[in-house]
Amino acid sequence: MSKGVQVAGGATLVALLLAWYALANLESGASFAYYQSLAEFQAAETVASGRPVRVHGYVANGSIDRDVAAREVRFTVQNTPPHAGGPPGPSLDVIFASLETPDLFKDGAEVVLEGRLRGGEQTAFLADKVLAKCPSKFEGQGQAAADGGTRS
Amino acid sequence: MAELGAACIRFALLIAVAGLGAAIHAGLARRADWTRVAERSVLVVSVFVLIAIASLFVAFGTGDFRISYVAAHSARSMAMPYRLAALWGGQAGSLLLWLFMLCAYSAACVFANRQQNRSLMGWVSAVLLANMIFFLVLLTFVTDPFETLPPERTMSDGAGLNPLLQHPVMMIHPLMLYTGLVGFAIPFAFAFAALLSGELGSTWFQTTRRWTLFPWLFLSIGIMLGGRWAYEVLGWGGYWAWDPVENASFMPWLPATAYLHSVMIQEKRDMLKTWNLLLIGLTYTLCLFGTFLTRSGIVQSVHAFAQTPIFTSVFLGYVLVTAGAFLAALLARRGTLRSPQRLESVMSREAGFLLNNWVFIAILVVVFTGTLFPVFSEALGERTALGPKYFQMLSGPLALILLFLTGVGPLIAWRRATAASLRRQFVGPALVGALTAVILVVAMRSQLTPYALGAWSLGAFVTATIAQEYWRAIRSRMRRGESAVQALFTLWRKSQQRYGGYIVHLGAVLVLMGATGSVLNEEKLENVKPGAEIHMGNVRLGYLTANALPAQHYGGAVARLALYRDDQPLAVMAPQKRMYWLEQQPASIPAVYSTMREDIYVILTAIEHDGSATFKVYRNPLVNWIWIGGAVFVFGTLLVMWPHPPRSPARRA
Repeated sequence: MSKGVQVAGGATLVALLLAWYALANLESGASFAYYQSLAEFQAAETVASGRPVRVHGYVANGSIDRDVAAREVRFTVQNTPPHAGGPPGPSLDVIFASLETPDLFKDGAEVVLEGRLRGGEQTAFLADKVLAKCPSKFEGQGQAAADGGTRS
Repeated sequence: MAELGAACIRFALLIAVAGLGAAIHAGLARRADWTRVAERSVLVVSVFVLIAIASLFVAFGTGDFRISYVAAHSARSMAMPYRLAALWGGQAGSLLLWLFMLCAYSAACVFANRQQNRSLMGWVSAVLLANMIFFLVLLTFVTDPFETLPPERTMSDGAGLNPLLQHPVMMIHPLMLYTGLVGFAIPFAFAFAALLSGELGSTWFQTTRRWTLFPWLFLSIGIMLGGRWAYEVLGWGGYWAWDPVENASFMPWLPATAYLHSVMIQEKRDMLKTWNLLLIGLTYTLCLFGTFLTRSGIVQSVHAFAQTPIFTSVFLGYVLVTAGAFLAALLARRGTLRSPQRLESVMSREAGFLLNNWVFIAILVVVFTGTLFPVFSEALGERTALGPKYFQMLSGPLALILLFLTGVGPLIAWRRATAASLRRQFVGPALVGALTAVILVVAMRSQLTPYALGAWSLGAFVTATIAQEYWRAIRSRMRRGESAVQALFTLWRKSQQRYGGYIVHLGAVLVLMGATGSVLNEEKLENVKPGAEIHMGNVRLGYLTANALPAQHYGGAVARLALYRDDQPLAVMAPQKRMYWLEQQPASIPAVYSTMREDIYVILTAIEHDGSATFKVYRNPLVNWIWIGGAVFVFGTLLVMWPHPPRSPARRA
């Protein structure tokens, strides 16, 4: 067996070990982040299952309520941007159990929520993470910046 | 200015097309006179592009808001340095900057090779001109930075620049990054020219190695400055988030670094020619691809912006054609690239370097797959993104292997290592590494993750190998009567590649040590009233007051907190929350108390209506070592690159 084959064999072994390690850890789904629009989310049958999801929507005007005592922020998201006019469409109440909202989080902001739905009488989306996007025209690197607030 | 700039771009395009014809003719017919013609067209195109970018700078400086690009990216109220730096704040301007850098490199390359590599320069010019033509076409037909607004839509002031980009680091970071990314065009052009002309001897790759080191240094600086900017501006307590934009700059760095290692095998043993050519091709393709990635927005579709289908298809087509043409040339010449040498033993430096290359490529595969996963998964059905966890999980172990090889590679013998030489080189460092591991386990116990244990003990191992090398070399020179300092400088001059390389490795080890510190990071979100305190281990922060922020371009609040460690007052920290009026964009400016041991990093999350304030506090151990390591890294690279004048005048002739 030539030495080149030996090195290649060793490297392949290492690669296989890593791939196995990665797959074993990724199977839990922790690293996969799905996102869907609010309308898609509400139409999906998995809504009630409490499975962690990412949902995309827009913050309804005047809906942000920062409850300092309870250390949470409550707001409503809707499927279409409020400044676009027209019917707001379906909406969803969100409870974010943190006061750490991103800089760009405000009325009308485009957001991606990470969390799951709480069923029962008071249906609400329990968000673990809120990512906000700047609705303006900035191109390029500003986008990376827009996520800054909640990356961890 | 708009007319002048636009005219220059169009002239440059015409000349570049004519020059490309001359260059191809020069290459095919091996004509020295036509080579000169091609080189002159490179220079003329460069002059026109210089005038074009200068006129855009003037337009930004004077506030020529007739030009829609100027109006969209600057405003009168911005400070002059930022108004000028706004030139690369958007797509069209940054493409013009790309082109300008390419021209500057090409002109420098033509100048530096006026006496050497003559038979290659025709094809080199052809490759460079072809690349220029692409950017000129893009700037003429797809995204024109000089496009003017109709008079009725012209306003007296511009829209301003994203305030997050109005930061000193952001003025130089893109320049560094572009100096890095664009610079790989030159080694690419040489490699391509060598393939096209069939002159695959040894001269081209020596030229290429030197032209690779320079952009590689700037790319490294650019990547680190990007991290520094994120840390100081984005306000999330970190410096690297595996964001597609960051990955785009990191990806070409990987094959370039692999190349700088494997080219040594080619130098010493005349092996791996095909592999080295592949790495150069891959590096430049990834530079183009990274620019495409950040400028087209194909990945960040949650935040899709300015995505024009024509730009996407044109740019992607260009990347594919470039890579495809290079690969075709490589395949056509593969017969002449075969090396007579074979790998003799697995226990050899060749094998170590080869493995190092594999690991770099493996990291590249991980990053590439993760970055483009949204695109791949959308093609297969559901659009899915991979988070930072994916990247950390896979790149962590690979980085450990790399760290181990950093210690082993430079010390193990060429061809075949004997047991005695292995003992001589590795017993001491291995003991240092093992001892570090024991101390870490005893001292830190539960806090220690396997990854941190591996990284820090391997880091100690590598540092010990470097110290041992320096110690042995300096001691042997001191025996011959040199002082220690003299000996050090002699080493840096006489074997700059080797002893400079060790310093580069030391810098990389420090960066990795600092990054590993993040496993000990602590964070806390707390809502406090004035007078109350936030406790975090032996550190406490007393919230004093919050005041309105008086500034011209933004409003907001600044909070003041007194920082104590073990009841020892250390500093008053003043994190800010800003709102930029014109741009209607908020920004959190963190306050950082930085020491060698750790950073205390405070963000003012919100001033609440009840008078309290919400703060996010991070304790980031060892973070400073990343920047220190970066500086060491740069110093080492400069040692390697430093042009020492020939020692005896006789050698000059």
